[in-house]
Amino acid sequence: MTALIVILLLLSAATGTGVVLSRIPTRQVLALAANGLVLALLFMALQAPDVAFSELAVGTVATPLLFLAVLASIHMVRRTGKPEQE
Amino acid sequence: MSEAVSLLPWAVAAWLLGIGLYGIVTSRNYIHLIGCLSVVQSATYVLLLGVGFRHGAGPPIFYDHPPGTPAVDPVVQALVLTDIVIGATVTALLLALVLQLHRRRGTIDPHEVRPFGP
Amino acid sequence: MSARVRLWVFLLACLCVVPAVIHVARRMPEFGAHPLPYGDAINARATRERHVTNMVSAVNFDYRGIDTLGEEFMLLCAVTGTTVLLRGTRPQPLADRPGQVAGREVRPASDAVVLICRMFGAAILVFGLYIALHAMTTPGGGFQGGVIIASGFMLIYLGEGYRGWRGLMRPELLDAAEGAGATLYAVAGFAAMAAGLPFLTNFLPLGQPKDVFSGGLMLVENVGVALAVAGGFAVLFVEFLKETRTEQNGEDS
Repeated sequence: MTALIVILLLLSAATGTGVVLSRIPTRQVLALAANGLVLALLFMALQAPDVAFSELAVGTVATPLLFLAVLASIHMVRRTGKPEQE
Repeated sequence: MSEAVSLLPWAVAAWLLGIGLYGIVTSRNYIHLIGCLSVVQSATYVLLLGVGFRHGAGPPIFYDHPPGTPAVDPVVQALVLTDIVIGATVTALLLALVLQLHRRRGTIDPHEVRPFGP
Repeated sequence: MSARVRLWVFLLACLCVVPAVIHVARRMPEFGAHPLPYGDAINARATRERHVTNMVSAVNFDYRGIDTLGEEFMLLCAVTGTTVLLRGTRPQPLADRPGQVAGREVRPASDAVVLICRMFGAAILVFGLYIALHAMTTPGGGFQGGVIIASGFMLIYLGEGYRGWRGLMRPELLDAAEGAGATLYAVAGFAAMAAGLPFLTNFLPLGQPKDVFSGGLMLVENVGVALAVAGGFAVLFVEFLKETRTEQNGEDS
């Protein structure tokens, strides 16, 4: 087992923990993007380039973007004038 | 030492599953909960790709090498790559449900939303 | 059940499961050094039998093609469910102005972001098309290419702003692309049945290995998957970003 795989496995455990421990959703989005990036690197080290493609495009772009759009919609000021509760 | 290192992929997969479930159980915000669900999904990806790995082998692409060179397992890679894309769309469906909940109840805190009631 | 009780029940369950996990982890085959009979069988003969060099695509579209059919229809169902939820319950007609978030002013887009997104949006779209079409030779395929094309759409949104972007992303075209992709995959399977063979048999001429147009029916299935994934993700982005617009008759500043 190479040192690279060991380091990336430990790093992915750390970023996964970071996603769970970021309780504020706007900050969790960045943790999700970092987790996606580290997982893509781990999949490359495990000799899986197809999987790394998928994880990179989905985990760093599509998923954080959907989260941000939902957060923006929830925090919008609606017609009644008062901000939405969380 | 080498045995501990050889157990590391299974340990990381189990850890990600456990910490993701802990996040789901103690979450105060449904959007945070969906993020923890994606951590649980990534535990399965790490486990599957760990099962299919082989030391000293290359990716299962034989464009530059002849088809006899050692390669890792392509079946688990096929499973994982479709799973990643479909998991993202299911996450989108869950986020749409969270939006609906916010419109009807005004809150996205799991502890304030009582089932079967106003 | 209060939060504290829930946490204690969860920790109790973990305590019961952890010995089983350790027991199983010790008996797992050694990481990286155990036999992979199914993978070796496919690696040994897929190039000879199907004339492709990307084993993962061969497994996805030929050896386990019906699993990919199921996955693609799962994608269709999830996107349909999301679209029905978001379009069906939108309360008021929406304008093109972004909604206001409390405590944050609306700033115009920065020039650097617009320039970079305009340059790279088109480049990423071409790259996604390349990845989607070279499924049979190099790492890539319909799923990867479709998601990269969707990322390209997102870069175009960041560069052009909402109004210009909605002019490009017509919902009819995107819905049609997504449905056409799923239909193409199913039709490919039924075409094999019309030729008298089992469902999804690769009955088209297989071509030469290392050629872009090799693989027979896998090419048709690959195009179907790329269309469905790109269209599906684009529909999701349009629906979610429409949610961030303010209502039409709002009097807010």
